[in-house]
Amino acid sequence: MSGSWLVGGSVVASVALAAAYLAAGGASYEPTPVADPCEPREWRSPEGIEETAEQFTLSALDGAACELRVSRETLAVALATDEGRQAFLSEYGVDDAELEAAVHAGLERAVDDAEQAGALSPLVASGLRAFVTNLPVDEAIALINDASELFEDGSGVLDRIGALIP
Amino acid sequence: MRPSAACAGASGTGSSSLGREDGRAGLTKAALAAAVGMVLADSSVVVLALPEIYRELDVSVAAVTWVLVAFNLVLAIAAVPAAHAAVRLGPAKLTIAGLIAFAAASLACGLASSIGVLLAARCAQAVGGAAAICASLELLPAATGSERSAARIWAAAGATGAALGPGIGGLLTELVSWQSIFLVQVPMAILLAVPLIGALGAEVRRAPVAAGRPHLPANLALGLISAALAAALFLVVLLLIEGWRLTPIGAAAAVTVMPCAALLAAPLARRVSDVRARAAAGVILVGGGLAGLGLLPDASVVLTFPPQALVGVGLALTLSALTEAALEGRASQAIHGGWTIGARHAGVVVGLLLLTPVFTADLETEREDAEQAGTAALLDARIPPTEKIELANRIADRIREEGDKVPKLGPAFEPLPEDPEERAATLELRGAIEDEVDSAATHAFSRSFLLAATFAAAALLPIGLARRRVEL
Repeated sequence: MSGSWLVGGSVVASVALAAAYLAAGGASYEPTPVADPCEPREWRSPEGIEETAEQFTLSALDGAACELRVSRETLAVALATDEGRQAFLSEYGVDDAELEAAVHAGLERAVDDAEQAGALSPLVASGLRAFVTNLPVDEAIALINDASELFEDGSGVLDRIGALIP
Repeated sequence: MRPSAACAGASGTGSSSLGREDGRAGLTKAALAAAVGMVLADSSVVVLALPEIYRELDVSVAAVTWVLVAFNLVLAIAAVPAAHAAVRLGPAKLTIAGLIAFAAASLACGLASSIGVLLAARCAQAVGGAAAICASLELLPAATGSERSAARIWAAAGATGAALGPGIGGLLTELVSWQSIFLVQVPMAILLAVPLIGALGAEVRRAPVAAGRPHLPANLALGLISAALAAALFLVVLLLIEGWRLTPIGAAAAVTVMPCAALLAAPLARRVSDVRARAAAGVILVGGGLAGLGLLPDASVVLTFPPQALVGVGLALTLSALTEAALEGRASQAIHGGWTIGARHAGVVVGLLLLTPVFTADLETEREDAEQAGTAALLDARIPPTEKIELANRIADRIREEGDKVPKLGPAFEPLPEDPEERAATLELRGAIEDEVDSAATHAFSRSFLLAATFAAAALLPIGLARRRVEL
């Protein structure tokens, strides 16, 4: 075999492989984008208290994440544990007051979304709005992490108005 | 071509029959080639064992990488001095001494209970190995009949050893332990020294000779292509084990494509007499294979086979061609062989040191992106909230257990729910998250493979320059 055939064949084989992999999407990988938390997100039709509580949590995370200019997913991971919360505050340069304000804003958005979706009546929504606005930050975060407790067990507000949830 | 005086002396010139003489030469040739292959396999043999060593010796990832780097670095530094020693003291003597030192150091590696002892033993292994491989090049021409075929066998044995290293290491780690990689080399090194004992008596001390300047373009190209091959050998293994979570034995099986392709291409290399064309074609194939690995469209082991095959064929063509070019017409063979070993392993070290921070940083970035996408998939999944919370906790536990590694999340989804709808939704979620993690891990290696492909492409430069100025 002559040298020039060998070099030519090598070029063809290399280019063919790279072209085939490029055509198959080799250079087009992008991580799945996460949604903008400031954009409205569809509320699925909840089928009971547990699912209503879940949608409430997701809306609250969206609202708080939008305030802090982070993704809902980043905040979900950050608020899951105390260590995660401290790491988040330090990494994103957020102080306790900003976090508290964001968490309250998130809970208010959750109440608004639930009301707009018809999951809460206006009466229940206004009562719940007043309740979440005054929650201490730790209780507000606990509520975001597990809103079902609030819905199921009652907390002085929803216990009385839970029956009104459609 | 005339074998060197030392080689002639080492071959023995008694009154034995021609058949016995041929048999002895064949045995010597096989022993020398096996010794070269064994020593150079050590430059890559531990790559699949690094996670085990990391866990057992309780060290940092950075420290365990030095098990690999230290050997290659010391081999690069020791090669030329060892070659000078071989010429001055006698190649048979130094090959035997090198193999015995290699065996002793391998024993120390296998018995090491701390990273300090292991690293020191790896350095000693490299010094013994450098002596054995450089001196063996001075002995081979007498056994093969010419310096050209000696250089070809020596280069092919080294390339085969380096390519087989990860597979053998993975197999031994999985079946026995990481220590066994080193312990099996103890009797091997001693056995390979035995056929050379007969050459000791005929060996004479020689006065130092002026070796002349090394072949710069060939050695430069060897350094660059070795940096690229370091990526091919080490990054493929890391992708398979750390990225796609294959077992060491699975990864060992997957990476056999490279040495198999190299072995199949060896006859092709012999049929093409144009050394420059072989070197250029090999470099192009290695670069093309690495580009293919950088452009993998999916996290599939099978898709790594075509690029691995190109790299294997390229390795067989280019290493032998460049080594032959570096040794052609130069005396002494050992000293110029030492330069090629120095250039190759300096290239491996540079490749490892440049590429490791790149893929480590990319892996971290991709891990964060995958975490976001996985969390989004979990939050949006159509499974009951209570199930979702339990699942999130199990996934978090898996991630914690796996530490810095790309986590294997499948077990977090077990047991699957019994309700058919929930089960289907859970399986869909598992598929989405695993796809995300696999794609992120694959992509994390892309930039490093493409960077390595540029090292290979850069090797074309000295080959092209040699065309004008120096005969390659």
